[in-house]
Amino acid sequence: MAGVSVAAEWQLLYNRYYRKPELYQMQWKHVDLTRNKVACAPFGGPIAAIRDDAKIVQLFAESALRKLRIFTSSGRLISETVWKNPGGRLIECFESSVVECVFWGNGVVCINEAFGIFAVPDLKNPRAVQLADCNLEELPHCIAVIEPQYTMSGNVEVLLGVGDHVLLVEEDGVQQLGVGIGPLQKMVVSRTGKLLASFTHDGRLLVVSMDFSNIIFEYTCESALPPDQLAWCGMDSVLLYWDDMLLMVGPYGDPVRYIYDEPIILIPECDGVRILSNTSMEFLHRVPDSTVSIFQIGSTLPAALLYDALDHFDRRSAKADENLRLIRSSLPEAVEACIDAAGYEFDIPQQRTLLRAASYGQAFCSQFQRDRIQEMCKKLRVLNAVRHHEIGIPLSIQQYKLLTPSVLINRLINAHNYLLSLRISEYLGMNQEVVIMHWACTKITASLGIPDASLLEILLDKLKICKGISYAAVAAHADKNGRRKLAAMLVEHEPHSSKQIPLFLSIGEEDTALVKAIESGDTDLVYLVVFHIWQKRPSLEFFGTIHARPLARDLFITYAQCYKHEFLKDFFLSTGQLQDVAFLLWKESWELAKNPMASKGSPLHGPRIKLIEKAQHLFSETKEHIFESKAAEEHAKLLRIQHDLEVSTKQAIFVDSSISDTIRTCIVLGNHRAAMKVKTEFKVSEKRWYWLKVFALATIRDWDALEKFSKEKRPPIGYRPFVEACVDADEKSEALKYIPKLADPREKAEAYARIGMAKEAADAASQAKDGELLGRLKLTFAQNAAASSIFDTLRDRLSFQGVS
Amino acid sequence: MAQKQINILKNIRGKKCLVIDPKLSGSLSLIVQSSQLKEHGAELRHLTTEPVETDCTKMVYLVRAQLNLMKFICSQIHNDTLKGLQKEYFLYFVPRRAVACEKILEDEKVHEMLIIGEYPLYLIPLDEDVLSFELDLAHKECVVNGDTTSLWHIAKSIHKLEFSFGTIPNVRAKGKASTRVADILNRMQAEEPVTSDMGIPEINTLILLDREVDMVTPMCSQLTYEGLLDEFLGVNNGAVELDSSIMGVQQEGKKLKVPLNSSDKLFKEIRDMNFEVVVQVLRQKATSMKQDYTEISTTTQSVSELKDFVKKLNSLPEMTRHINLAQHLSTFTSKPSFLGRLDMEQTLVEAQSYDVCFEYIEEMIHKQEPLINVLRLLVLFSITNSGLPKKNFDYLRRELLHSYGFEHIATLNNLEKAGLFRKQDSKSNWLTVKRALQLVVEDTDTTNPNDISYVFSGYAPLSIRLVQHAIRSGWRPIEEILKLLPGPHSETKKSGFASSPSFDTIPGSLNNLEKVADGRRSLVLVVFIGGVTFAEISALRFLSSQEGMAYDIIVGTTKIVNGHTLIETFVE
Repeated sequence: MAGVSVAAEWQLLYNRYYRKPELYQMQWKHVDLTRNKVACAPFGGPIAAIRDDAKIVQLFAESALRKLRIFTSSGRLISETVWKNPGGRLIECFESSVVECVFWGNGVVCINEAFGIFAVPDLKNPRAVQLADCNLEELPHCIAVIEPQYTMSGNVEVLLGVGDHVLLVEEDGVQQLGVGIGPLQKMVVSRTGKLLASFTHDGRLLVVSMDFSNIIFEYTCESALPPDQLAWCGMDSVLLYWDDMLLMVGPYGDPVRYIYDEPIILIPECDGVRILSNTSMEFLHRVPDSTVSIFQIGSTLPAALLYDALDHFDRRSAKADENLRLIRSSLPEAVEACIDAAGYEFDIPQQRTLLRAASYGQAFCSQFQRDRIQEMCKKLRVLNAVRHHEIGIPLSIQQYKLLTPSVLINRLINAHNYLLSLRISEYLGMNQEVVIMHWACTKITASLGIPDASLLEILLDKLKICKGISYAAVAAHADKNGRRKLAAMLVEHEPHSSKQIPLFLSIGEEDTALVKAIESGDTDLVYLVVFHIWQKRPSLEFFGTIHARPLARDLFITYAQCYKHEFLKDFFLSTGQLQDVAFLLWKESWELAKNPMASKGSPLHGPRIKLIEKAQHLFSETKEHIFESKAAEEHAKLLRIQHDLEVSTKQAIFVDSSISDTIRTCIVLGNHRAAMKVKTEFKVSEKRWYWLKVFALATIRDWDALEKFSKEKRPPIGYRPFVEACVDADEKSEALKYIPKLADPREKAEAYARIGMAKEAADAASQAKDGELLGRLKLTFAQNAAASSIFDTLRDRLSFQGVS
Repeated sequence: MAQKQINILKNIRGKKCLVIDPKLSGSLSLIVQSSQLKEHGAELRHLTTEPVETDCTKMVYLVRAQLNLMKFICSQIHNDTLKGLQKEYFLYFVPRRAVACEKILEDEKVHEMLIIGEYPLYLIPLDEDVLSFELDLAHKECVVNGDTTSLWHIAKSIHKLEFSFGTIPNVRAKGKASTRVADILNRMQAEEPVTSDMGIPEINTLILLDREVDMVTPMCSQLTYEGLLDEFLGVNNGAVELDSSIMGVQQEGKKLKVPLNSSDKLFKEIRDMNFEVVVQVLRQKATSMKQDYTEISTTTQSVSELKDFVKKLNSLPEMTRHINLAQHLSTFTSKPSFLGRLDMEQTLVEAQSYDVCFEYIEEMIHKQEPLINVLRLLVLFSITNSGLPKKNFDYLRRELLHSYGFEHIATLNNLEKAGLFRKQDSKSNWLTVKRALQLVVEDTDTTNPNDISYVFSGYAPLSIRLVQHAIRSGWRPIEEILKLLPGPHSETKKSGFASSPSFDTIPGSLNNLEKVADGRRSLVLVVFIGGVTFAEISALRFLSSQEGMAYDIIVGTTKIVNGHTLIETFVE
């Protein structure tokens, strides 16, 4: 059987196989884990190391300065920095008195000198929350954290090994658990937050459920000395590390022992544990079922036979066919197992062989999802690329799925692996904007020496890869880095005006911003720029700027008309628009009138008239506004006359009525002399005078006066006003006094019709020889059969005349 | 949209007072029922200058982004502060926040007391084929104040439509505002491209038209049923409000709201007809019903015949409703003053007898007839003559100020800025336009119309004539005429959607162009910037129903207007 050598490297823990392939030979030199404090990030993350000051420093062999160094998982140095903060542990000490702390995901839990417990749920937004006080008198033996996603409350919870029990500390309460379980020296929570592994003072490994109600298993170690490190390996075994021995304990069967002659560090992952030593990085994990089914010694499962068949096929042996025949019915599951096993493989040739086996088997099955192989190849291509020792991210396929491609890309760009991340995002069909954006910003920061124009070219060349990328964001970054000119050049390329314009403003390019805002057609942006300039520049300069741009000017006027009246006057004066100032003043005079303080006849009329006269004066400054100037003059005069009328009549009914209304009111009050005075004062035409007086007299139903008026002289517009006034007032007999005097027979006909005199109407209409009029009049008399027939006869006669 | 408003209310816990911009309340009522508001613990008020009296500690303002409304809000908050009341204030802008408004709030030191949000209501469907941007001041703001905020808003609304219906490939615009909207729309498409995987766009053509291009039509009295209802009773948000007695309901002095939309089958049938015809149709229907009734009562009928009759009876409430309305309308239409006005409008449109028109308007002023009525004819007079000779212009202005008061200088100034009532500076080309586009049609048959001129009994609205040409053949054939009308014109064809290769390769795809996948006709969206009248909508529906028309027409407008409401926006 093939693959004997593969299975030979496995260790059996009860009925489960484990393996620990070597991921990397460490590339670093002279790094001794014992002489450094080391912290490692999960998901194949980097390693941070700093010299342990508790250890003796070898002079001459290394620098005397204490340095914090960051390595990839393959031991390539990414960066180093001189570490000046004193303090024991390799964490950022944001509170001076922290004595103990535990990290999880993106958070940290600390205990300070006063034994208060704090949690910072999000390091990006460092805000400490104090957890419930549990009256500690000394430091707990051990601490473990239950991550928020696994707790009932949704907040972080902390386990403290105190005395012979454990305290569960939350934000608003403390719970005592597992009393009598014995002082615990070490605790570790499992990946899913359901189980707790702990090491007791008397040398037992205890695995209990989270609420301590159930002991899952217990193992008595040879020594009561607590292990240096305790870690979960996947879900079903626990690792204990002392000095040179690594012990893997499972629920059943004998533990597995690994001997190390150099120090190691356990790095727990979701599906296993990475083991870091001075020279290598290994990954200890359970052998997946699919891999077992293929490589287990003596396996006759379909997957193993398929793998074997490929081997025969490669050697052109007919046994290949025999194998295939054996497993015909279960070929799909065999193919699936090969694909799956390939995914778990770190060794590239092995991946290839497994995938070839899958592809070979697939050729013989009809109903297999063909894209499964393709998908797996895609994933493996990405994984192999990031596992390369230059990149050094040894993700397993499980970890990759959990981490998600977009987080992976973010990690790559944070490590400045731009080309790779760009290729991966392109390969996976993801948005490349994040990569390019990060690259561009880093490029700007790093290119202090490159002149603006050439840097712009370099940037544009890459930015254009990505449609819809925010040039404004890149420009903002350039500005922050003190490259204002570059920012201005970049922002020119931003197609979104709403992003572009604020940026122009922030880099002091107000005039460009104004032009662009006006072009965009978005008045909100224009206002934004206008207000900005208004605030920044002296008034006169501001006026000059907006006066040259009609949209900006008009918007400013609209705003100022509503809210900054006085300022608007200054603007008009500065630009010489005197007539507009005049209109504003005139308008103000009406505002005064609306003011309840300006009760009729009060001295407030004085200020009103003054405003209007000022307006008149301004109008008269320009030739084009003679009409307005005269109107203002008349308005002021009218207000004075009305004021006098109110004084003399002791009735507050004149002010703010029109000239015509004033005349009517005078006539209605019987004050004909005053009416006449207004008429002459304002040169009211005879035409208008007649209409006004006739209507006013009809209003007070003074029919005698009306008749007298009609006889004063021949009315300049005939007798129609008299007829209309009487008809409207429903005074038939009065109307009849004037209808015969109408000159136009059509008017006469209609007037008769309106007072219901059909016969007379018809006669007048036929006199006018107007057939259309007759038809219309007939409709008016539709209810009246007799009248109706009169119109018909007349119309017939008329049309007959028309023909002849 | 309704959900969005409910969510705003839901997210603010407990009892709250919802203060809305009165201009919004009508259109919002088309979207959310007021009972729904109450369900969410909201008291409803209108925003005015007066302070709001309420026990609620949470105030939710829902307003258009208008500067003067900010002053109201500020004074209300100041008022509360003076009284020592502590309240939470929420301010939602429709459709979006505005820098200028927030500046006032900042200057008044209330900005930090407010939680500000947006309610992106860009357009409201008024009927199956009518969309409104509800920008009633758009026209005035553009032509008088030079404030083109509404143009961005319109472009945005159209762009939003494109996200649902695909990029509109053909855009034809006439007028300053329209070409600008087309331009802004272009920019928006560049900034935020509409994903082009939607196949053939549902809207084939967008026609943008400035109201300024045709101010003649809205000044004329509409003679369609719906148009007349608007002229005399005022249709607001698809309903008229009138005394209940007119509708035959005896409730002393109570107002009644009568809904008018195409869900009323009878209304859908008659709304676009000339009113003369409506009266005949209603009479016929009533007669036939009466006949059926006598037959029912005199002869024995089969059950199925009875059933038919009962079915007809179901339409009885609609019949009564429209007979009542029509009767009420005819009290206006039979007045000599109305007939006289129609005569004069006709004379003005014909533009052959200057003196008659001048004297008629002069007399109206002397008789102090309602100012708006006077201005309507005056505007018509001024436009058809390209303004009035200076002497006449100054004379009429003086007579107006003398008769109606000097404060109307502002109104006159507005009209002059808008070019609606101005001094003559060149020879009028109205006669040329009228002749070339056949705007006055002799012998219009209003019963069986064959031309859009039926909506004004003989005058074919200029705006719709232009649309007719634009749909049929684009601007090119009438370019010479377009040059005689205000504002530039533009015509663009997007190549953008040719990027779907399958479309280019289908043989005979040109024929498919007009048809959307499921056999419906594709659409033409006609947008009126500055408002459209019901009569014009009727004319468009008439065009759309004509044989040989390849498109369905959808109307977009800043607001439904008539001569009265349009002139009103200029009066200060």
